[in-house]
Amino acid sequence: MAAAKFQALWNHPAGPKTIHFWAPTFKWVISIANVADFSKPPEMISYPHQMVVACTGIIWSRYSLVITPRNLNLFSVNIGMASTGLYQLSRKVREDYLSDGKEEHVEEQ
Amino acid sequence: MAALRAFWNSPVGPKTTHFWGPVANWGFVTAGLVDTQKPPEMISGNMTAAMCVYSGLFMRFAWMVRPRNYLLLACHVSNEAVQLYQLSRWAKAQGYVY
Repeated sequence: MAAAKFQALWNHPAGPKTIHFWAPTFKWVISIANVADFSKPPEMISYPHQMVVACTGIIWSRYSLVITPRNLNLFSVNIGMASTGLYQLSRKVREDYLSDGKEEHVEEQ
Repeated sequence: MAALRAFWNSPVGPKTTHFWGPVANWGFVTAGLVDTQKPPEMISGNMTAAMCVYSGLFMRFAWMVRPRNYLLLACHVSNEAVQLYQLSRWAKAQGYVY
């Protein structure tokens, strides 16, 4: 039973013998790199880059469902990209626009 | 005019996500180019290295996916170039390369 299921996955048109598997699997590294960068100060975040990460994540989530072969691996990784991109953007926006008052107060001390 | 109409109605044209997905990915190239003007201390080694491998893999993906996507291929070739350049700037700034 399990062997049959494994065979089905192994031979899937978007399975581990194809680029349709490895390209999206590797794409997780972008989201992981972004998560690693969560601990970096917001000054180091790049607005252009994170906006692109968020936008491509959103658009590609849709793309992955209409290509041949349909690619749920690609779908999930783009959901991840959109999430990490949006979070990084929120960190930088918070730092640049929402915490100015607090910073000035600290400098005065 | 006929060419324009053919493009507009193409199965990989601007009415489809096969067009807009790659267009969105050109954003990486643009963002990369903008970031080349910033000081190398701002470059994330993690992210740039990831981008290099990512574009390498997706060049192949763009070729093999159906419909075959030349716009996506062009995008990743360009991104590979920009990201490798950024990686070299980062490596020089970190002292890994003279």
